[in-house]
Amino acid sequence: MSYLSTVDFAEDRAFVDRFRQTMKGDLDLSWMDVPRERVRCQAQNERRGLTFRDLDVGSYGFTDMPELIRQNRSFAPRGAAMPAGLPDLQAEVNRKSEVWAYNIEGYYEEAMTRQWNATTDIPWAELQAVDLPEDIGKAYAQLLTFLTEVEMIATDVPCKWLGRLNADFFEVKNFIATQAMDEARHAEIFRKRALSTGWGLMRASAQNEFNLKFLRDADSFAEASLALHLQAEGMVLTLFRFSEYISPTDGDKKLFRLVMQDEARHVGYGMQHLKWVLDHFPEKRELIHHHLDEAENFVFGGGYATEVMEPFIILSGKGLKKENIEQGVRITLAFQMKQTDEYFERLAKCGMPERRDRSRLWKMLELNKQALGIAS
Amino acid sequence: MPIVFPSLAFFEALQREMRTEKDRFSRLGFFDTNFGIRVLPDGTGKSAEFVLGFDVFDCVRIAEGVDGAETDFVIEGGFPAWREMLDNIHELGSADTAHSLNTLTHFGEALQVRYDDPDGHDKMYRFAESIQEFLDLSARIDFTYPDGSPPPARREKLRRIGT
Repeated sequence: MSYLSTVDFAEDRAFVDRFRQTMKGDLDLSWMDVPRERVRCQAQNERRGLTFRDLDVGSYGFTDMPELIRQNRSFAPRGAAMPAGLPDLQAEVNRKSEVWAYNIEGYYEEAMTRQWNATTDIPWAELQAVDLPEDIGKAYAQLLTFLTEVEMIATDVPCKWLGRLNADFFEVKNFIATQAMDEARHAEIFRKRALSTGWGLMRASAQNEFNLKFLRDADSFAEASLALHLQAEGMVLTLFRFSEYISPTDGDKKLFRLVMQDEARHVGYGMQHLKWVLDHFPEKRELIHHHLDEAENFVFGGGYATEVMEPFIILSGKGLKKENIEQGVRITLAFQMKQTDEYFERLAKCGMPERRDRSRLWKMLELNKQALGIAS
Repeated sequence: MPIVFPSLAFFEALQREMRTEKDRFSRLGFFDTNFGIRVLPDGTGKSAEFVLGFDVFDCVRIAEGVDGAETDFVIEGGFPAWREMLDNIHELGSADTAHSLNTLTHFGEALQVRYDDPDGHDKMYRFAESIQEFLDLSARIDFTYPDGSPPPARREKLRRIGT
């Protein structure tokens, strides 16, 4: 218990007297006299309900929020009256540009309505009725082990930053909270599926965990978001689509469709955040490139580790025979190229088309394409 | 007069089916995207093109023609690829492992996804389950193909594994 009250309230005469007066019906009511902005909020689309966008009014809204939050250092909800004596809760992230994204309020509402349940939305009994052959079962369990590892850190990262964001970034904080829930559900479903294959959890990946540590230990939320939402989750989104493509059963397909929905939403936030940063603070471009240089180095090392790659090859080739492996290698290479292509496509759309020229990952992709005789 | 695929009437029938499943689609969540369907002709001739608009929990717009329409992405493929997908859904009640929309489009082997904006493209994945369940509703529609042949009759869905 490191934080202690400066007052022992039970021994504080003035506080106890005031409490007694209140309970006798002698109300203070000074809070009722605080001048407040009265607003009228109503759902613009009744079918959608009352959304955060409908609350973007006056001093309660987010459109006119300044870049620097100097006034609110407490948990006072944006727009509330702030009496003297509120504590300084030492939020670490107080610049709008570090967290904001176009349509943040829309991503939150979408997240809330598209929640699902890993326990009840997946046909577990059907999945368990299917016996996977040993090579497929083990490869799938290894893929699920890797994904569980990924999703555990993907839960930790938004949780780590949630309490560090200034309370005025209400919509972002709520979105980050939905992300933490999404990622926790992903870790849950991959663990459940790994165990329900009968093969259990396979081997953790050291190389992958170094990549995850890089995500967790980012020095700022902006760095964490760039590496997590846009780069890592963008690549994981393509990976989920690939996993749906190679899934051995209908139930597994559904599982991956559900996780890809959440992942795509997080990528959407990441893209709209990067666009916001580049639109409002173009001078940050070089910093972003530097961070991506290292992020791409880690993702290459983590994502292409043998315990990650080999299950893809076995699952996409549908077995361990020579012809299966050859087929699996072809399909996995195509996946990697697609994954990298889509990552650079997103960066270009956000306003960084030059990233391709600077990136070693892009150069490796080009070399891969040349080796396979594929035109850029 | 039976409904023919591809046609406006086919997608309007899907729209009607979706409206009978309001609870199911509400449970899946907000579904906000406009996307195109393009059925390429065999050889020469015109593509059949449709725009489907979704808002909140509903399919609110079905129109012919993709040109000039604001779409997040367009799913495009030859008639045989669309037919194979619809036959599979009609026969099994929903797409099997080889015929989910993501599987058919992932490497562009059967169907291709065209887009200008990767953010719009990602909506195909943000709403993946809603789109799949919308397409799976075609299992309930009595329709024929332009040559008059119907899709296969329903049989019990097989649980296939990918080996």
